[in-house]
Amino acid sequence: MTATTLDAPAVDFTRLRRERLAKLRDAMRANELDALALIGQSNVVYATGARAPAADASLAAHQRMVAVVHADDEWPHLYTAFADGVPPELPADHVHDALPVERDAGAGALAAGLPARNVGIDEYTFALYRVLAGREPKDATPALGAAKVVKTPDEVELIRAAERINEQAMLDVESLLVPGVRATELSGRFLRRIYELGATANTVDPIFQLMPASIDAGPFTLTGDLVFPTVTRDQRFEQGHVIWVDTGINFHGYASDFGRTWIVGNEPDARQRAQFERWREVIDRVAASIRPGATAADLVQSAGEVYGRRPWPSHLYLGHGIGTDSAEMPLVGTDLGPAFDASLTLAPGMIVVLEPIAWEDGYGGYRAEEIVVVTDDGCEFLTRHHYWPFT
Amino acid sequence: MPAFDPEHLQRCLDEMKRRDVDVLVLGREANARYLSGATRLWLAGTRPFGPGCVVVRDRATVHLLSTTDDLVPLSREQLFPMSWNPATIAGALAAIPGVADARRVGVDGMTPLFAQLLRGLLPEAVLVDGEDLLASVRRVKSAADVGAIRAAIGVAEEALRVALSALVPGVRERDLVGAYVEATGGLGVTTPEFDAVFHVVDDDVAGNFATERVVRDGDLVVASVGVLSHGWVGRLARTWPCGKPTKAHRAAVVEWRALRNPLLEQLRPGTTVAELRTQHSAVRGVGTGDELLDDDQVLEPGMVLAARFGHEGVAGEDTFLVTESGATMLTTFPYMPA
Repeated sequence: MTATTLDAPAVDFTRLRRERLAKLRDAMRANELDALALIGQSNVVYATGARAPAADASLAAHQRMVAVVHADDEWPHLYTAFADGVPPELPADHVHDALPVERDAGAGALAAGLPARNVGIDEYTFALYRVLAGREPKDATPALGAAKVVKTPDEVELIRAAERINEQAMLDVESLLVPGVRATELSGRFLRRIYELGATANTVDPIFQLMPASIDAGPFTLTGDLVFPTVTRDQRFEQGHVIWVDTGINFHGYASDFGRTWIVGNEPDARQRAQFERWREVIDRVAASIRPGATAADLVQSAGEVYGRRPWPSHLYLGHGIGTDSAEMPLVGTDLGPAFDASLTLAPGMIVVLEPIAWEDGYGGYRAEEIVVVTDDGCEFLTRHHYWPFT
Repeated sequence: MPAFDPEHLQRCLDEMKRRDVDVLVLGREANARYLSGATRLWLAGTRPFGPGCVVVRDRATVHLLSTTDDLVPLSREQLFPMSWNPATIAGALAAIPGVADARRVGVDGMTPLFAQLLRGLLPEAVLVDGEDLLASVRRVKSAADVGAIRAAIGVAEEALRVALSALVPGVRERDLVGAYVEATGGLGVTTPEFDAVFHVVDDDVAGNFATERVVRDGDLVVASVGVLSHGWVGRLARTWPCGKPTKAHRAAVVEWRALRNPLLEQLRPGTTVAELRTQHSAVRGVGTGDELLDDDQVLEPGMVLAARFGHEGVAGEDTFLVTESGATMLTTFPYMPA
């Protein structure tokens, strides 16, 4: 196997960063914010385009980058320990040493640079919470959400490219899926291939979930519904096992999301093929309902019922957005409820990852994911992967 | 398989008592891992605060945000369900026996939204620093903890051995990352502590990321790797030659060790972390996640430290257990090829 990076997508990174920042400023104005203090890493990436090494949550928190965006300053301020992750066009007087916001000194330094009022913050370390307690910063989430939810063409291309790496890596993993293979070997091969193909990072422990035939035969849940996802463990897969796959990578700050159903060593039987067809009908119905002006409620309604139930687990969703986070707005069909769904209107440039299931309790089911981008008159699929071994 | 460790909970309850904290509401996964023994889905990067794990002192109970008990070594009564609706999660939090009466609540982070919800839920409660509380609980390891860290290091070392066998002229830095992660998967571990970095020693490159760079015969490559194995961190770094070991590499490593070894003699109870930190060294705690250590922290027996030392591009990192009289190196990887 020759290791080669996939061809670079046609992305102008300077334009990408400029356009994101312009959207963020518009959202700041709309939310009456003079400054944003950002410590969540996906938000810092969005505001600055800077890169930090991918890491487990606690290490990521301890080495986190910090961004401050002032409404009246052309450039964001970036605080980072990673000089080789700083975008080239960011002026030197806007690039600073890392701010240790886990501690009072760093939190105090961040607070000292913020205006007295109209500051939005995404989240706090406890030290930041203590330092800012008297100032009642506003929640930055609405402004961030408003900026992020509609993607620029460059953002769409990066998500497409992330998904392409993810899919290409899966072709190789599929060839390993024979009776006796261990789940963690599949993960290992997947991870190897994404790095070889040019991934920036992996973002989620690859999921290869052995599916039971019925909810009762699977793990306990508080909801009484299907469990998904469960964490991949060191187990062997055997002939006929049905595996639900779910993976996601990072490419220049943007997430992919890959979902398919595999069968170990067997062709699907007639019942399994029927499940797949039911799943595909849901995708077709929902995709046909996606256009500018459609609401999340319209998507939920078009999904309908499959095998007498709503075609997704009660604690999850029919679909979710994707960007610098692996799941973000628009969320479709969550327990935020029908009124929330009705309030969420699709616009060109929004992305929805559709992940319905066709679950026939007692006989298992089919699950896969399709990333679609809302276009001027409908939607386009960014996912291009086959449905092996079903097609 | 994950296991609940009653000693971890007891250490936490003792510290809660000492600090007069009634309830802990914890969002950080390393804290939840330590207290519950649960393996939840690993995700890279920071995540906003949410009530992922709750400890009620007077009932000595741990509660975990998890829809399932799969890989969660707690009873079903100790689980509360996830929701996309923060108000629903806040309601589930309030329903945990003992939470509504809490006067002093430790939190390890916050969001503007949750600050508002908590004020509504517990208007009289004072919020205190739960991250600092857990840091002090997690700092000193039991024999079982050290065993888990040793096992994690073993995985990282074996995978590094495999990756370095792929260090031949023509390989790209990112291919070495690929070889390393595939090897950890073969060892049954699919979660890193951080993305492995393999980078050619080069004065002009900061070297925080593996790149497309092609490694050439005679290059020195710094390899920094870390796994999260059954919830425990195992990490190390070495500088390795591409191709045949050269006299230059041998000399660089010998010099590096001569400069680093005085640091090791200071690894003993009573030394402060500041004394271990020089312009060439970095020191951190290792456990169920990364542990921040302040300069004035005094070493105690049972602490586990990762100490990295770099000099003129050559870097190495080892993990140590502080003992009664000094320190034991937990990493076992050689410094140069046999």
